[in-house]
Amino acid sequence: MIEIDALTKVYGAAQVRAVDEVSLRIPAGSVFGFLGPNGAGKTTTIKMLAGLLTPTSGRVRLGGFDVARQRPSAMAQFGAVLEGSRNVYWSLSAWQNLMYFGRLKGLRKARVAERAQDLLTDLGLWERRHDKVGGFSRGMQQKVAIAAALIADPPIVLLDEPTLGLDVEATRTVKNWIAEQARELGTTILLTTHQLDVAQELCDRVAVIRQGRLVADLPTRELLARFRERDRYEIRVEGAAPSGFDAVTRDGVTTISARVSDPLEVYDVVERLRAQGAVLESLTQVQPDLEDVFLALVSEPSHA
Amino acid sequence: MREVLRAEIGKGLRVQLAHPAGHVITLLISTMMYLGLQFVLGQGELRQDLLPPTLVAIGGYWFLQYAGLVMVADLIEEKRAGTFTQSQMSPAPAWLLMLGRLLTASAFGLAVAAVAALVPALLAQITVPLRWAALLPAVLLVANALAFTFLLAALALVSPMIGALQSLFTSLVLLLNGSFLPLNLYPDWLAAAARLLPTTLGVEALTQTLFEGRPLAEVWTGGALPWLLAHTLVLTAVAGLLFGRNHRRALESS
Repeated sequence: MIEIDALTKVYGAAQVRAVDEVSLRIPAGSVFGFLGPNGAGKTTTIKMLAGLLTPTSGRVRLGGFDVARQRPSAMAQFGAVLEGSRNVYWSLSAWQNLMYFGRLKGLRKARVAERAQDLLTDLGLWERRHDKVGGFSRGMQQKVAIAAALIADPPIVLLDEPTLGLDVEATRTVKNWIAEQARELGTTILLTTHQLDVAQELCDRVAVIRQGRLVADLPTRELLARFRERDRYEIRVEGAAPSGFDAVTRDGVTTISARVSDPLEVYDVVERLRAQGAVLESLTQVQPDLEDVFLALVSEPSHA
Repeated sequence: MREVLRAEIGKGLRVQLAHPAGHVITLLISTMMYLGLQFVLGQGELRQDLLPPTLVAIGGYWFLQYAGLVMVADLIEEKRAGTFTQSQMSPAPAWLLMLGRLLTASAFGLAVAAVAALVPALLAQITVPLRWAALLPAVLLVANALAFTFLLAALALVSPMIGALQSLFTSLVLLLNGSFLPLNLYPDWLAAAARLLPTTLGVEALTQTLFEGRPLAEVWTGGALPWLLAHTLVLTAVAGLLFGRNHRRALESS
């Protein structure tokens, strides 16, 4: 479990509050999405969580251990893959990297070897375990970085943009693996990403940070449901666009986008279309996705 | 702790040995440069009276240079690649990881210095008398060079320009620690200035024990050993203070 209490980071003489009283509870075995636009305070929060940055005030506990006061125990609970860096040694082989990071985490050589074999086999890298990581594809390098973060089997894993720059196949492998770690092995996964489709697919719960403050912290379904109040309907009719509608016509089919505040208003819309002689092809309720919700949250005042 | 140290040293040596060609070339250049300089200074001949003390001095320089190079190049590369940050997100304390780096640098520096010294010793038939009394000065010389390496490491954590400073200091050491001419041939003021540089006092103590046959007690009362010890302790203390401050800053900027 990750517990963050009133975490605050203030920078410099100008007293810029990069992170302002952020509190979160991330239960064990969940995939938690921590989202925010660039400069929102996401990286600063992650750095404080990883013990790389000292908070101005507030506290982070990993698996019950205070990162500031019980750092060795807290770090033993934790593995991370950070965005924008290699994370592993490119001049060493996958095997050598895992052996190094495993022993650094306090595991005995024999135990690391056993675990490294399992991980490299699971991630499809066993046959190339003795090749230098520098010669691997981007996807394979990312898999080695993930394996290094997991080598000591930590109960908490931070994945910062884990699928960035990966091809479709590698993205699929990493996503499946994240889901499996959380659901089957009970690992708590803190995921930060700008790929909101990935977050929506994987995360049980999502928090959004903007200008250093949390603007949402809800289960993903609930967060999406909250924004369903503004449901949109997409209506497709044959032929040209009827008048008085927001519509686009392509290949003889007109798509009408209608926003309603009450679902019963849909009948009025359909009635107006029928009055104009439009032939209805389909009517679909457009569900907001995480991207819609995220954009709404970061561009408007606090919602949740 | 022992496991972490072993892992850190093993990793450091593997990283260094991943590209052996560069080290071999550097070794050849170092060896040839030493013999060439001695040939020029000897006005067309290799003077047997100058070769043994200068070989000991340049051995100290090679150790300082390679240990520092391994330390600084590795740290800068690791900071850039993010592996430094990764290693710090472990239960292992920062000082233990730094100790591992210092031991790696030490092992690599000693190996390179030994091989680099062996080649001219064989080619020019240089004989260095081995005496037990030289053991302590030799150990202190290594400790002195490592203290300087530690200082470089503490600076490298926050300054990517440390390479230039390192080049400046190692060049001064090469010029003044006795690698070209024994220290007793320098004017007094220059010898005094040279003693402020790392390795010079160690070379002086080694020269006194190895070539002048002085006992340790006499070298101690002569001042070379206590000054060497004090020099090493001051360097270590300054490096330790800088490391404590810069380590936090390095993580924050990672």
